[in-house]
Amino acid sequence: MEILGCVGIIAGCGSLGLWLANRIRRRPVELRELLMALALLDTEIVWGATPLPEAFGILKERTKEPWQGFFAELQNRLQRGESANTAWNDTFLVQSSLFCLKNEDWQVICDVSKGLGRSDRQEQHKQLELIQRQLSLIKEQAGIWSEKQAKMWSYLGFLCGIAGVLILI
Amino acid sequence: MSLHYTLSVQAPKITSDLLNVTPPQREKRLSGRDFSEGLWVDTAKWFGKDVCSVLENIKDISFSKVEEIRLRVGQPLMVLTPDKDYFISREGGVCSPDKAYLASREDLASALERMTHSSVYAAEEDLKKGFLTLPGGHRVGVVGETILNQGHIHTIKHVSSLNLRIARDITGQGLKLLPSLMGGGGVFCHTLLISPPRAGKTTLLRDLIRLISNGVSQLGLRGQTVGVLDERGELAGMWQGVPTYDLGWRTDVLDGCPKAIGMSMMVRSMAPQVIAMDELGHADDVAALFDALRTGVKILSTAHASSLEEARKRPTLNHLLEQGVFERLVVLSRKHGPGTIDGVYDLETGRTL
Repeated sequence: MEILGCVGIIAGCGSLGLWLANRIRRRPVELRELLMALALLDTEIVWGATPLPEAFGILKERTKEPWQGFFAELQNRLQRGESANTAWNDTFLVQSSLFCLKNEDWQVICDVSKGLGRSDRQEQHKQLELIQRQLSLIKEQAGIWSEKQAKMWSYLGFLCGIAGVLILI
Repeated sequence: MSLHYTLSVQAPKITSDLLNVTPPQREKRLSGRDFSEGLWVDTAKWFGKDVCSVLENIKDISFSKVEEIRLRVGQPLMVLTPDKDYFISREGGVCSPDKAYLASREDLASALERMTHSSVYAAEEDLKKGFLTLPGGHRVGVVGETILNQGHIHTIKHVSSLNLRIARDITGQGLKLLPSLMGGGGVFCHTLLISPPRAGKTTLLRDLIRLISNGVSQLGLRGQTVGVLDERGELAGMWQGVPTYDLGWRTDVLDGCPKAIGMSMMVRSMAPQVIAMDELGHADDVAALFDALRTGVKILSTAHASSLEEARKRPTLNHLLEQGVFERLVVLSRKHGPGTIDGVYDLETGRTL
């Protein structure tokens, strides 16, 4: 019985650690996906002059979850007549919990909404380019950081479990 | 690069928004108070919260009569019908000008935001010309403060007035008119439709395009390939490549292209038998038209002028008339409501038909 309890504690703590590690690893992946989506949005705006609801519809089909849901909600909100700025910010409030991104990432991502759809194509291109540049910097740092952190958490979970078992015994 | 782009993008799906657009054809079949209210609600969605609630509550004016909805900063909200201008109160009732709902700057800004789907860049070129086209072919006139760049309009800011013009389909007029537009052997003649603004030029043109494209067997008119140059997006009401209006089975639409460029492009690419276009009048258009005529294509066009005499005073139109380009001239007016045919002239003999 005791042994079973010990194994349970170790497994529980270990899987918690693994789950955390997995979340940390997903952050750069999500950032990369967003960068790809922004590049696509930029193309749609500059070359296609595609209106935003339609452009988000295209992004929705080209991205994976959770971004897919994010763009789908944006498209819905815009079709209902919300302005791009409020739609983006409200979608962030509703959906941010589905992502593994940090607050500092969201600060940059929410900058997209400022002036989105409000100016001519060149201006839109400039804004999106700036945000893409900032995001790729964040992504690089996140890549290095997450590798270390993820490794640490996957070990730490098990170690904590073992430590807990030792204390209890 | 742009070609590559066009090919790589998936065909846009018809959004639910498009499906909500009420094709004008449907208006005739359904009538009654509820339907009119439904159409008001449908139109109100293009405006911000305040104006939207005002329009949704309108019950005294039947939507089928409405021609224009006008918003001016600090001025009463107006709804125009063929015979009367109405001032609308905050509750949606008809009232005197001093009790009417006054449109604010915010109302205009949010209406513009909704009408462009928050994508000003997509309507950039149209805005420079002072209008937007909504799904369904309704046109919105926009004026405000223009920003110039080397003598050309760069953009419009501080929009001060919006004018939503409701597009309608009036079928039947074209069929009455068509026999007089045909010469010997069932051949369609080069035709110019002229009228003052708001007299139903575009509507009649649309009707004629459909008839020519589908053919009218009782008149011995076989269906002909029609190339439509829809510079302002009004004729076909194109939305993501799908026309809102029925323009017939043999119609090809070049959407948003300036007529001067589009004419030769259309002739080369689609080999039409008839080219139809709206609002001829620019010198470049006329030059391109002479080029197109050499290929033997028939021309069907409209122009702004209230009578033949007035048309002759316009240098570009006069040039066309003197050269004998057009064989038939149709004059429209608003004497008995929009779409009244005032007269049809055979320009070769000078007879009235």
